Amino acid sequence: MHTELMNLYYKAEENYLSNVDIKVFRHHIESLQQRLSTYEFLRDHELEIFQPVADTLQKKYPTENPQTLEQVLRQAIALLRYAAMAMLLNNPEFLQHRLLEWLTEVVNAHQTQTLWSSCHELLSARLKEMLTEAEQDLILPLLDQAQATLVGLPAVVSVQS
Amino acid sequence: MISVADLLKEPVIPGNYYAADAYVQGDFETGLIENRKGARLIALPDILLQAIYAGLDQEVGQATGVVLFNCGRWWGKNFYRRFVAEVSEYYRRPLAEMEMVEFLQCLKECWKTHGWGTIDLDVGFYQQGFLVVKTWDSPFAAAAPKNTGQPQCAAEAGILEAFFSQLTGRDLHCVQTACETLGAANNLFVLGLRERVEPAKAWLQEGQDHDTIMERLCRTQVA
Repeated sequence: MHTELMNLYYKAEENYLSNVDIKVFRHHIESLQQRLSTYEFLRDHELEIFQPVADTLQKKYPTENPQTLEQVLRQAIALLRYAAMAMLLNNPEFLQHRLLEWLTEVVNAHQTQTLWSSCHELLSARLKEMLTEAEQDLILPLLDQAQATLVGLPAVVSVQS
Repeated sequence: MISVADLLKEPVIPGNYYAADAYVQGDFETGLIENRKGARLIALPDILLQAIYAGLDQEVGQATGVVLFNCGRWWGKNFYRRFVAEVSEYYRRPLAEMEMVEFLQCLKECWKTHGWGTIDLDVGFYQQGFLVVKTWDSPFAAAAPKNTGQPQCAAEAGILEAFFSQLTGRDLHCVQTACETLGAANNLFVLGLRERVEPAKAWLQEGQDHDTIMERLCRTQVA
């Protein structure tokens, strides 16, 4: 259950919700709908999202061991799955605890940070092609959060001209 | 070319099995806590840990460390069995086939989620046949009597000894060489073959610090 909605339920124990609260509630419901449709989209288009990313990544690193590339891609697939769930729950900590805390050391040990950065860029670019701006706003910050945690650099903010 | 369709065929792409919010499940009505496999967990209040230390001190005095160490060994034996079963089931690979870093991550997360503080392994002495384990923020050290002149994390030392003995299939021994109760930043444990680690105990009695003990252990090794 979303914490924001939970808070409203608790608030409503003795009184009707105020107009402001109702507005907040409506906002969350609408946002939830959008999250759900974005989640469904990501779930149903996993292959279309990742195949071009895989192809470009392989072109960019032709000498890299394919197994390493596959491993990074597998991790990126997991990342998007966890990020999608974190988006649905509106809870970035879900992504942090369930995946990133575990994955960070693995990426460090394999020294795949450079590959990760490229993969992150390609994945973000691919999602920008496929998603509307509102949908991008829901999922991309989570990918940036992952990038910042995994590679340790502040995420690059892209400015739309 | 890499086929993403093939990658997606793998049924589960695992994450952190020991994520605290997923691993520890509680039920307010029954007051029970369980792990994600449904096995019961018990919560040890601080006051109970303090009472164990105080009670043992009164009952057996100097043998407290030995008693806790043996408890730790039992605990570690069962802990290893459960850890191996859970991890290999979740990651769909026997522990022996897991990469070192994955195994280590699992152990670290497992240790943390069970509330035993933070653990890290220093494999820098691997060539000399020693493994150094570092823990900090240990609740066992927090509840133990302070500044007694001797390390107090005997239960943890026992757990580590049993765990790594089973993992490596060798009869290892564990000696604690630094302790938070003595003002150190970390608890340090040295693991190695029994006859090689044993001298550390005498040096510990002399009041030598961890670095000196490690240096001497490695020197004895060469000589």
